[in-house]
Amino acid sequence: MADLFLAAASSVTTAASAAEAIASGLGTGALALQLNAGAIAPEVAVLLTLVVCLVVDLAGEKAASRWVPPICYGGLGASLVLLALQWDSPLEPSFLGSFLADNLAIAFRAVVAASTLISLLLSWRYVERSGTPMGEYAAILLAATLGAMFLCGSTDLVSIFISLETLSVASYLLAGYMKRDARSSEAALKYLLVGSAAAAVFLYGASLLYGLSGGATSLATIGVALQTSASPITALALVFVLATVAFKIAAVPFHQWTPDVYEGSPTPVVAFLSVGSKAAGFALAVRLLVGCFESFDAQWKFLFTVLAVLSMVLGNVVALAQTSMKRMLAYSSIGQAGFVMIGLVCGTEDGFSAMVLYMAAYLFMNLGAFACIILFSLRTGSDRIADYAGLYQKDPLITLGLSLCLLSLGGIPPMLGFFGKIYLFFAGWADHQYLLVVVGLVTSVVSIYYYISVIKMMVVKEPQEASDVVKAYPAITWNLAGMQPLRAALVGCVVITAVGGVLSSPLFDWASSTVAGTPILQQAIAAAAIAPLG
Amino acid sequence: MSIASTTQQICFLVLSATTVVGSLGVVLLPNIVYSAFLLGGVFLSVAGLYLLLNASFVAAAQILVYVGAVNVLILFAIMLVNKQETLAAIPGLLVRRLLSGAVCAGLFALLLRVAFTTTWALPGPTPVGEEATIRIGEHLFTDYLLPFELASVLLLMAMIGAIVLARRDVFSTDVITGEPADQGLIEKDRTPLLIEKSAPAPTLLSKP
Repeated sequence: MADLFLAAASSVTTAASAAEAIASGLGTGALALQLNAGAIAPEVAVLLTLVVCLVVDLAGEKAASRWVPPICYGGLGASLVLLALQWDSPLEPSFLGSFLADNLAIAFRAVVAASTLISLLLSWRYVERSGTPMGEYAAILLAATLGAMFLCGSTDLVSIFISLETLSVASYLLAGYMKRDARSSEAALKYLLVGSAAAAVFLYGASLLYGLSGGATSLATIGVALQTSASPITALALVFVLATVAFKIAAVPFHQWTPDVYEGSPTPVVAFLSVGSKAAGFALAVRLLVGCFESFDAQWKFLFTVLAVLSMVLGNVVALAQTSMKRMLAYSSIGQAGFVMIGLVCGTEDGFSAMVLYMAAYLFMNLGAFACIILFSLRTGSDRIADYAGLYQKDPLITLGLSLCLLSLGGIPPMLGFFGKIYLFFAGWADHQYLLVVVGLVTSVVSIYYYISVIKMMVVKEPQEASDVVKAYPAITWNLAGMQPLRAALVGCVVITAVGGVLSSPLFDWASSTVAGTPILQQAIAAAAIAPLG
Repeated sequence: MSIASTTQQICFLVLSATTVVGSLGVVLLPNIVYSAFLLGGVFLSVAGLYLLLNASFVAAAQILVYVGAVNVLILFAIMLVNKQETLAAIPGLLVRRLLSGAVCAGLFALLLRVAFTTTWALPGPTPVGEEATIRIGEHLFTDYLLPFELASVLLLMAMIGAIVLARRDVFSTDVITGEPADQGLIEKDRTPLLIEKSAPAPTLLSKP
């Protein structure tokens, strides 16, 4: 016990030596130091949108519901354009090493920003229908986006922790946003408790890393320090940090919060959590594991293999038994995270680009599926799978959209998801990850079963077998405010999911240039290429 | 051993014992008011440990923020929501407690083992003492500028969220259509997770 406190003592006091190092750095190269603040221009656009939303909200709820949507479109659109302009720009660490806008960060930030944009398109009608304030909803979701975007590019333990907390606290608030509903409050409470525990574990791991590197918080410096320390304490730090990453991407056995939170949260928030938050988690995984723990390559790859196998098996098998659509998609998202982890475990050029590609494909197909179930619950007030029976008679658009997105999630050709999945399995096979690929193939078949059973429920049933909800289906109207954006998002996601597979060549190029423009990935690939020879 | 180091040793032992016993009390005592006051004690003794390490600024911040704000807030919350309520007994509570105790003990054993097998770089660097504030200020405006600014967004958002969750002047209608709304999930007809299945869920229709 005393040793622990002494260790804490040394880590507090080593701050001093770090400060000295900084001070000497300032002394020698004061003129050369630049903030490179331009790297966070996309985040600044999101931040400005957030502030403008709050100011507009002062004018009352009517004004907010009129003006907040266009402001959000403008801000997130500007953020995406600024991200595109940063692509392949010369790499300079910004904010004295807190942030790095390499292509990996840009790609994942774009996925996050796009997922927020689409989630917001899906949200307006849902939020108004439930009678909750809209300006604050948009502001909190934008704050979550801001945290997730910073998380994708952070290269420093302190930045990582603060952006992780921004994302998490905003997510807890959003999960409990329907505050008069016991399920929503329960979801928020569960998420808060589990999330706080995960944050505490991360802090413990980070403090160990801080001590091991002699008082450095930059991931690159810690990575260098870890190369010479092979003590059990490094393994402990690895496990702690890995637990947080696994919590964020909802990998088994750190997935327990997922089904309850997904079921109790407002559905558009679930759409954001399942894509935006997860993308940020994967970016964090790459930064920490590939960038910092590269000397513990074999260890984290083994742990990640175990997590991936468990996620694929448990996520896809338990999804079979679900009766609620949101819960089914929760388990399916656990399984999907397992597929993406194959790419990370490979550590080859193909593996990383397959991971990026699948994340982008997942953005469209998962949000398309969520658009359909949000529209269905707006019209019927239900999300039971049984209530979808016979839907093709009454609502062909939802039937078609949901069928295409679910087929794509299952990996049926020629959808976008098929190409993403086949690329992942190809990369895994080339890297001799036979166990992962075989488990992935088998669980894909299982997942196709439950995706198809939803489609069967919608399409095959005779009109007299339709559920009561579908029999009492309201007339289809799009004239209410907020319905047109929902339709636009639905159609957009479904079209990209359906056609994107055939025309996916630009996506492949984009994914491989992401890997090419990211120094830490290039180093890892080079190290992996040398390892078998040496 | 000089008097100074003996005093330091004794202070360390007393503060650590207070921290450990106090935090056990926070977790184990059934009365939440005792837990809240003990938590204040734990925060104070951690502040004392910081003082022993010559980190007076951190100690002052610990007292101001944790004891002065967080703990007082917790006490306020307890006093405002001090509602006597008999909760239904959780089935298999003893087994659950034993299980979680075993997990905690296992984790503790692991941490102890790692702490004893690691060769620590002792003694650590010399503390800067009173200069700490200057160093922290330098850090906040050089390499930790970005997280420092981001923390303000975090606080702003937490404030907005707290207001949203706490405010009462809620509008109970859909702004666009004017239909009544209940600030609940749109997906209604499902079994509630928390409420007992036998008890009818309170709905708008059940009211006379």
